[in-house]
Amino acid sequence: MHSIEEQFEKQLDQALESNGLTPLPEDRAALLKAFTTGREQAALVFSVAEARYEEPDLIFSASLS
Amino acid sequence: MTTELATPGEESAATSTILTIADAGEALRSGTTTSVELTTAMLEKATALNPALGAYVEITSDLALEQAEAADAAFSAGSDAGPLQGIPLAIKDIIKVAGVPTTANSRILDPAWGGEADAPVVARLRAAGSVFIGKSTTSEFALGQPDAEKGFPVPHNPWDVTRTPAGSSSGTGVATAAGLAFGGLGTDTGGSVRGPATVNGHSGLKVTFGRVPKAGVVPLGYSLDSIGPMARSAYDCALLLQVMAGYDAADPNAADVPVPSYTAALDGSVEGVKIGLPIPYFFDHDQLDPEVRDGVLSAVQALVGLGATSTEMELAHADKAQHANALILVGEAYAYHRNNMVQRWTTYGKYTRPGLVRGMFYTAADFVQANRFRVLWCEQVAKALQTYDVLITPSAPTTAQVAADMNPSQRLRQPSYTGQWNLSGLPAICIPTGFSSEGLPLSMQIIGKPFAEATVLKIADAYQRITDHHLQVPPVDALITTAA
Repeated sequence: MHSIEEQFEKQLDQALESNGLTPLPEDRAALLKAFTTGREQAALVFSVAEARYEEPDLIFSASLS
Repeated sequence: MTTELATPGEESAATSTILTIADAGEALRSGTTTSVELTTAMLEKATALNPALGAYVEITSDLALEQAEAADAAFSAGSDAGPLQGIPLAIKDIIKVAGVPTTANSRILDPAWGGEADAPVVARLRAAGSVFIGKSTTSEFALGQPDAEKGFPVPHNPWDVTRTPAGSSSGTGVATAAGLAFGGLGTDTGGSVRGPATVNGHSGLKVTFGRVPKAGVVPLGYSLDSIGPMARSAYDCALLLQVMAGYDAADPNAADVPVPSYTAALDGSVEGVKIGLPIPYFFDHDQLDPEVRDGVLSAVQALVGLGATSTEMELAHADKAQHANALILVGEAYAYHRNNMVQRWTTYGKYTRPGLVRGMFYTAADFVQANRFRVLWCEQVAKALQTYDVLITPSAPTTAQVAADMNPSQRLRQPSYTGQWNLSGLPAICIPTGFSSEGLPLSMQIIGKPFAEATVLKIADAYQRITDHHLQVPPVDALITTAA
């Protein structure tokens, strides 16, 4: 069983590789923090939007004005 | 290199006491001063203070004096293009100005990029007779925080140079506060006009999405970006917006909506204005500085004293709205930067790299859900604005932070009160409400209905008619140095 941190590290490596990015070693700590925070943010937003699956018309129907 | 204190540049009594665009306009038309006199004084001050404050990437002295001479000649000939004629302004360095490179504070762009033509908004200011003092500093590509290693000036807060001037329109904010321009242009995708206005102690308006055409601007978040006026007073913001606003086919997002007279609305009255105060998150967060909160509540009481009414209310999921805005912002930014990030990783600054690459870490489903959330948020806010004319919140949870203590990942975990209004595309102005016990500017944010810039400006102006927080000048003369 991998820890959340180990899973994030693995996902980070996969994301960097699949996007062809080759960061410097000194970037790694900042990237891992950015990745972790990003996943947390996305989960929070997801939690609200997911509860409204019965309203598929929500997507891109925003009226900005 | 050593530095020593020097005598501040000599200014005439007339130019040194003029603080606003409105006052400068009066002085120009009464013959008390000339645009060349105003411009020369500001160029000297900007040159003397830029090593300490880092407001400008490039000070465009020749261009500014040429424009000032043309403005004076026009006045002499009886030609008056309006309130901005002869007024020195700062232009954020992600907005194209003909004949001057636009760097976006990055080594990614060709060094001559952007000099071929004015952005439409700059062309409008030029046609109105404005004077361009210089290209003002920004965070790299309007994201992240300053990186001294890239060789661009690092902006500092003029009230305390150890504090952040906020970003990304840092330079225009610093220049406006320190008297190195009467105001200018910023851009706002998550708070980049309003943040610098907040911590540097002046006014800054994020306009309705589409109100000002954004062609000729390096994009950050395609569906969130806006260009906004920054100046000491709300009245000055109205003068700037009057010229900036309006349709231009070069921007596919530009709104073809009539432009009202913004200054005509500024009559000092808020009688009958209904203010909503969204308490959860915006007023009760445990990281909200009580001095900031109390400053806002005192300002609201002052507005109530002028005839407005205020009601506590609730907007659900305000924290997640901030996250959704950030998610969409970096997703759109990464789409713009991906190829360069793959090929030229180290050409980006060390703070920009992790900031931009966050867009890669989100999944397609994350992006879809953030946009679905956006619809929910917009619906909720639109419903609230059927009851209230405006919403008022703190502009930021704290006063300006110590720059050395800031780090990007920590910022993502702090509350923020600005991105919610980019997500909903609404106009929002931040204006000073006083000073903290440490002498740092406090600020409140007034949010209005779509294209109701006149309403938020009217309320801000009414408050500024009974206060003078926006007219306070930071003690910058002591920072003037000369290289020995």
